[in-house]
Amino acid sequence: MLAQWKKSFIFGGFLALLVLLPLLTSRSDILTWTCLTFQYILLSQSWNILGGYAGQVNLGHAAFFGIGALTTRYVWLWGFPLPLALLLGSLIATVFAFFIGLPAFRLRGIYFVIGTLVLAEILRIIVDTRFPVASVLPAETLLTYSLVSRYYLSLLGAILAVFTVYFISHSRLGLGMRAIREDEDAAKTSGVGILQYKLSAFLISTFLAGFAGGIFAYYMVAVQPGYVFSPAWTFDSVVIVFVGGIGTIVGPIFGSVFFVILKQWLSLHLPGGLHLAVFGILFILVVLYIPDGFIELVRRFTKG
Amino acid sequence: MLKIEDLSKSFGGLMAIHHLSLDVYEGEIVGLIGPNGSGKTTLFNLISGLLKPNSGRIVLSDRDITYLSSHNICRMGIARTFQLTKPFLQMTALENVMVGKAFGCTSTWNMKKVEEEAKRILEFIGLDEKSMWKASSLGVVERKRLELARALATKPKLLLLDEMMAGLTPTEVEESIMLVKKIRDSGVTLIVVEHVMEAILGLSDRIIVLNAGEKIAEGSPQDVVHNPKVIEAYLGEEAFTDFGS
Amino acid sequence: MFRFLAQTLINGINIGALYGLAALGLSLIFGVMRILNVAHGEFLMIGGFIGFWLFHLYGVDPFMGLPMVGFFLFIMGIAFYKLIFSRLTRFHEEVKLKNSLLIAFGLYLIFPQIAMLLWTPDERAISPKYSGEAIDLFGLRFGYVPFWGLCVAVVTFLALYLFLNKTYFGKSLRGTAESWKAAKLSGINIERTFMITFGVGISIAGIAGVLIGMVQELTPIMGMPWTLKALIVVVLAGMGSIIGAFIAGLILGIVEAVSAIFMGPYTIAVGLFIFLIILMLRPQGLFGKT
Repeated sequence: MLAQWKKSFIFGGFLALLVLLPLLTSRSDILTWTCLTFQYILLSQSWNILGGYAGQVNLGHAAFFGIGALTTRYVWLWGFPLPLALLLGSLIATVFAFFIGLPAFRLRGIYFVIGTLVLAEILRIIVDTRFPVASVLPAETLLTYSLVSRYYLSLLGAILAVFTVYFISHSRLGLGMRAIREDEDAAKTSGVGILQYKLSAFLISTFLAGFAGGIFAYYMVAVQPGYVFSPAWTFDSVVIVFVGGIGTIVGPIFGSVFFVILKQWLSLHLPGGLHLAVFGILFILVVLYIPDGFIELVRRFTKG
Repeated sequence: MLKIEDLSKSFGGLMAIHHLSLDVYEGEIVGLIGPNGSGKTTLFNLISGLLKPNSGRIVLSDRDITYLSSHNICRMGIARTFQLTKPFLQMTALENVMVGKAFGCTSTWNMKKVEEEAKRILEFIGLDEKSMWKASSLGVVERKRLELARALATKPKLLLLDEMMAGLTPTEVEESIMLVKKIRDSGVTLIVVEHVMEAILGLSDRIIVLNAGEKIAEGSPQDVVHNPKVIEAYLGEEAFTDFGS
Repeated sequence: MFRFLAQTLINGINIGALYGLAALGLSLIFGVMRILNVAHGEFLMIGGFIGFWLFHLYGVDPFMGLPMVGFFLFIMGIAFYKLIFSRLTRFHEEVKLKNSLLIAFGLYLIFPQIAMLLWTPDERAISPKYSGEAIDLFGLRFGYVPFWGLCVAVVTFLALYLFLNKTYFGKSLRGTAESWKAAKLSGINIERTFMITFGVGISIAGIAGVLIGMVQELTPIMGMPWTLKALIVVVLAGMGSIIGAFIAGLILGIVEAVSAIFMGPYTIAVGLFIFLIILMLRPQGLFGKT
């Protein structure tokens, strides 16, 4: 593989390109799609932390995205500064995570899966019932709506996510999480505190998911409150992580790019929500035949 | 160093460990033998905290560790290997050992130190050439050594070895015996479960024999081998009768 | 007042029996195969729609059509197992379980879309001529359809109970649920056991779907809410308890019916509370083994 400095150079160059993009083009479609890709990178990496590194499957990821989104949206629209709104969104999502995770992680893995699924679905139904009307940005905000600021915020989110995963994977935290993923009993008897580490992974994951939700809330002009709890958000994260490469740093990045492009293409050629079905089938095929994702496939290909 | 006091463990109606009491003294190698199903692995599971007993106590250097969680028991200085190895498959051999080092008694966040120490242990065990190999590509014997390396990385005071020698060639058994003695000489107390009789008789300072969850004999290897109760317990078991003569 | 509460109780029992039935297949599949079928509600939905079309297009009485639906979904379950889940056997056990979960999750995304494409998102209801009829006893209303639905549920539970405890195959199923290793050693064909278990579990879901379609609307997106109910019942009952699933279903039904009086559309949250309480106080469920 490439030498370390070459890698850093390419990475740095690419990053510079992304930062300068809004100055190089004013085409809103390019900026929009890149912006969305960044948001997907953030969201999918957040799932990757718990699902890829710690090996705990969270099927209710949308719950935390949604909590972050709604909290940020309302706090911001009530007049508080955006950074505060974003922080609150992430924190409240984490609080919910704590109260589900603490009891659930003491028990067999299945309770966590059911718990997060139950939480997500119930929140969706409650929010849909209580707030059926879409939230639309008020006129003054609409006038000053800047795609560029949202672009940079999303880029920031993506960078934060990637660096978090990078940090985790090179630290004791990542070592512990992966040990749990591979074999809990062996991890336990080697000194890894299971509850601590699962909970830590979960809290970091949901903090980032809440942040992704917050960015989304800031980004969307009009959004129906129940929509941010749609299971499609969980599914999208999972598909991206799996297709790209679970438990890797770059997997979700490539996965997100692939996903956004494919989704765009499919929505042009297929009616309604059918693209979900296509992604569903693709996902099942990946789980069955390329569970390590395309990154691993490429790696194996280039080695052998 | 380790006191087992009147320990009992049952699964449903089955009594796996029945009012068991035994002592392990610092610096010795205790051989734990018994026919299949006599409770040896269950005892290891109880000591390492993977199972909780129905009654009784486990005391390590005057501290009651009976109900401590496994990772705390590890931090207190007890490490173990598993009969059917449990490597971290998708992680490299080096990373496997690093987990032990990073989370064991000398728990630390300094990844550089952890990596260096892990490399050193892999050299000691003889796996350093394959340190970057994924555990899943290692053979059974290598996995056993990896498991031992990982356990050693936690810097234990007491090491529980569960059938390390199963499936090894006679030369490999010899090497393992020397390795275990080296480990003891570095200050680690050991409890060794084995079916390979020559190994355990040559290795142990003292042997404890279990049958159906109870201690039926205890003493020097010579005494135990000629103990009629022990011979009876193993009646029909090839491994023992072959050697008994 | 008393009449109102008693009626609420009856309504709760009626719907509770269906909750129990929905949970039964899920519990069976999980108990034997350790697969948490989060797409369980989707098969329930399919069963309901098949029952609907049998009635709507061919005039087949929904109760009479139950065996047909049950059979069709049994085949469907076997097909899905053979085509998809059985391909996971080459994986390490824990990976296998995780992957089956993910695959079921994928199915949960796919089914509603296909259903909407085939049948439009419109709500349907299975309403034979006797739908609204009821018997009035002591001023309480015993709906004809819910009552027979309750009977079908009870019969299904009994049938499954007898199957598991009195037949050779049923016992081998229970043996497999206890320990895969021991079952294999006793000569049980595990793959075939899994296949049939999945088929049976799915077919029960289908039957539940038809009964549900007679008292509630059928929509392509009804799958997940029902999967949720089934999950809560399974946790409340405790994994692996057949009779427990029925009783837990009744309990959930009654608790919800009573809560609905003052919680209205937010009654759904009751399920979450029950789940959290069980998790914290009695994780093995009411009837599960520790």
